[in-house]
Amino acid sequence: MSVRIDPDFSKKLAGYGKADWNECFHCGNCSAICPLTEDGFLFPRKGIRAMQMGLKEKLAGYVDPWLCYYCGECTDTCPRDANPAELMMTLRRWLTSVYDWTGLSGLLYRSFKAHMAVMILLFLSVIAAFVAFADFTIPVNSEGLVEINAFAPAELIASIDHIVLLTLGFFLLTNLINMFVKVIIQDKSVRVPLYLYFVKVWEAIFHFGTQAKFAKCEEKRMYWFLHWFLMSSYIMMFIFIIFFLEWFQTDIVHPWYHPQRLLGYYITAGIVISCVFFVWNRIKAKKTIFKFSHHSDYIFPILLFLIAITGILIHIFRLQGMPQATYVSYAIHLAVEVPMVVTFVAFSKWSHLAYRPMGLFFANLKKAALQKQYKTQLAPAT
Amino acid sequence: MEEKRIGVYVCWCGTNIAKMVDVERVAEEVGKLPNVVISKNYKYMCSDPGQELIVKDIKEHNLNRVVVSACSPRIHELTFRKALQNAGLNPYMFEMANIREQVSWVHEDREEATKKAKALVTGAIARVAYHEALDKRTVEINPASLVIGAGISGLTAALEIADAGKQVFLLEKEAQLGGHTANVELTFPYMIPARQILDPKIKRVENHPNVEVLKKAEIDEIFGYIGNFNADIKVNGDSRKLEFGNIIVATGLKPFDPSSVDLHGYGKLPNVVTSIEFEKMLQSGKIETKDGREPKNIAIIHCVGSRNNDYHEYCSRTCCMLGLKFANQTRTALPDSNIYEIYADMRSFGKGCEELYTETSKRDIMFLNFDQREGIPQITKAHPGDCCEMLIEMKERLSNTNIEVPADMVILLVGMEAREDAKEVAHHVGVSKCGNDFFIERHPKLDPVATTTDGVYIIGSCQGPKDITDSVAQSRAAAARILACITQGTVEVELTTAVVNEDLCCGCQTCVNVCPYTAISFDEEKSVSVVNEILCKGCGTCGSACPTGAIRSRHFTDQQILSQIKGIMSTEMTEV
Repeated sequence: MSVRIDPDFSKKLAGYGKADWNECFHCGNCSAICPLTEDGFLFPRKGIRAMQMGLKEKLAGYVDPWLCYYCGECTDTCPRDANPAELMMTLRRWLTSVYDWTGLSGLLYRSFKAHMAVMILLFLSVIAAFVAFADFTIPVNSEGLVEINAFAPAELIASIDHIVLLTLGFFLLTNLINMFVKVIIQDKSVRVPLYLYFVKVWEAIFHFGTQAKFAKCEEKRMYWFLHWFLMSSYIMMFIFIIFFLEWFQTDIVHPWYHPQRLLGYYITAGIVISCVFFVWNRIKAKKTIFKFSHHSDYIFPILLFLIAITGILIHIFRLQGMPQATYVSYAIHLAVEVPMVVTFVAFSKWSHLAYRPMGLFFANLKKAALQKQYKTQLAPAT
Repeated sequence: MEEKRIGVYVCWCGTNIAKMVDVERVAEEVGKLPNVVISKNYKYMCSDPGQELIVKDIKEHNLNRVVVSACSPRIHELTFRKALQNAGLNPYMFEMANIREQVSWVHEDREEATKKAKALVTGAIARVAYHEALDKRTVEINPASLVIGAGISGLTAALEIADAGKQVFLLEKEAQLGGHTANVELTFPYMIPARQILDPKIKRVENHPNVEVLKKAEIDEIFGYIGNFNADIKVNGDSRKLEFGNIIVATGLKPFDPSSVDLHGYGKLPNVVTSIEFEKMLQSGKIETKDGREPKNIAIIHCVGSRNNDYHEYCSRTCCMLGLKFANQTRTALPDSNIYEIYADMRSFGKGCEELYTETSKRDIMFLNFDQREGIPQITKAHPGDCCEMLIEMKERLSNTNIEVPADMVILLVGMEAREDAKEVAHHVGVSKCGNDFFIERHPKLDPVATTTDGVYIIGSCQGPKDITDSVAQSRAAAARILACITQGTVEVELTTAVVNEDLCCGCQTCVNVCPYTAISFDEEKSVSVVNEILCKGCGTCGSACPTGAIRSRHFTDQQILSQIKGIMSTEMTEV
């Protein structure tokens, strides 16, 4: 079966990231230098070729971009300055939009204006909701504590969280199924036996927790640590908000050594330090991995940073017994959080939290299945 | 008779010979043979110290014959002959035994190889004992020249010679001058219009007092030898005779006919065109399909008829650059079109060519690579309702994927072939052809414009596929060679020719019939054969055919050859 080539594909891809990929003359240095590439998943050269020729169907089922952690080694060694690392990044953005059946992801990636418009709309809606339904005049209670749960009851916020989570979870899950169909089902060259799913899932969970493959990228331990610090902080925050909000959002002021406060500090530190580090490096644009930035690469850490800062403000104002300042900070905190969650979790950069371990899972499945097929072929006839 | 004093030199050729032949033993053993005065071995006989060794020994030991046992005489016979001459000996008192190509390079048993080397040297020693001193002979040069073919090569060469004040006859088969260059619009890599190159040359040639242009001309027969050729030709049907001293063959090429390549569908699909047809389209100023539409998808297929064992194994050298030029011109003419460059290997050698490749690759052109060994692209008609007229199916090498490329126009970059009439031309002027029917130069590296026939030069694509740049360079080189020859006034010719012993000749004329160089004529009065020593190449055919033994080839006498055989057979050999 022949695949139809598409000369316009590279132009369409330009919305997801840009570089001189046509400079590539396929020497293969990039794939040779890559610490993560391996037999059966040779990247990034193969992907560059498929991109140049516009083999969309092939690329849509391509799992390799999720195996790349962008150390930038390939771009540094490229004799043609074709920037293969940025292609892998661009393909991750494009694949996110391919998995997303609603088409929103593509719109957010291709248009900075659209992304900003959606965010501002959500921001203003949340503020408007607070202005309409919340009481900003509630004073401190008899003990001099700010009664945040009177302003925004934790049960109510948690319920809204659950609705948002279920909605976004539905989109993310359907996108993941879409990814599974494209990567595993539509690849006719490999059949994955059912038991392998149970054998290989642990590896994926392990890598999700540790990002051990990122640590394999040479001399990138610092980035690996900060990325992991951010991810672990974020995941914890996410779990607290969704499942333990009533424990997390209290009117009582615990002593500083209380686990609730210690974990809160960890999360805040993780988000603030990592986001400042990543945004600062993107602005400096010195290192290869920070040289090329898409608008989503800025919006995501800036929003996270703003969420952390407003969180700190809530904390300070609450401890200082300043009710109105606390309420305003809280409203802004949520007004930033909502657009971040809505635009990023299922439709943009955040979703790599799900796609990357899944990509690794699928790649391992394919590898194991192919090895098995190969062994069967080689087995002597009985 | 003077005493025979032979010097023998066995060469190591570095390790080329020494690794397989015990050169020291060979030198030592042949040193004991009769007439051998000294026998030496040396690392590189062809080096200056090696030659000086011979000169010194000739003077010191009063040698009068020399044997060098080294590489092929085709490479260094002249070198050593010169050394003999420098030492005051006649250069023909020399014999070479080839123990490299015939021994060390082709054998694997050192002991056997050494024995064979010794046998060959022994044969050479036996032969050289009967060598005779031969004199040089010179002939006068007619300063006029004949140039066959008035393409860019022929025109350039004719002008070069004419500008030096010598007469040129420029023969052209067609009614117009300019050859294939006249069918080109822009030339790669600098996009200079071909007309700008060609027209001034044509005008100058037609008005040049020293050039006689003969259009619609055909050659009936060419006789003679360097310096003294004459020809019977027909111009526009009328017979003429010409006299000249040198010949330049510039008969050019024939484009490959892609009808024989079934998969490309040329002749069946209307919008599959050759590079020549597309060039005409560019000259007309409009790129359009047969039904007058502007093509959206244009594919350029490389290596049509070239580098493929089913057609021609060789590379036609110009098509890659032509393809890049087409891509550039099409991109300029049709900015919104999709252009595909379907190539096997991109060969953009030469000044300015890699730069054109780089430039082209930045103009939104898709390069698709195929592997000749896995099949050539197949062109089929697309389904009605598809976005394009044709589909090209191919296996793309860099992605290892079977792909289909949409196309509304396909340009086949057809290769260059030798002309069908190359055989007749070769016969007329006495040059040989290679397996692909292109004419063979005297030496592929060191003498690329001369041929094995003295006074006959080959330039341009009749010698092999070539672009304008290389053709012009060759043309001027050949012109310089001819002008040097004319300036000298005379030329030295080979003396290893046949001679007739008139007393023994029975007048049977067998030799006249067998001579491949028409060098033997029959003297009716004396009733004996006469050898034209200028035309004779010393091939020896007549000598072996002569029933009475009246013809003898100088430097290849029966005695010399038989004693060489005797010498070889006298050594201890292993029965095979």
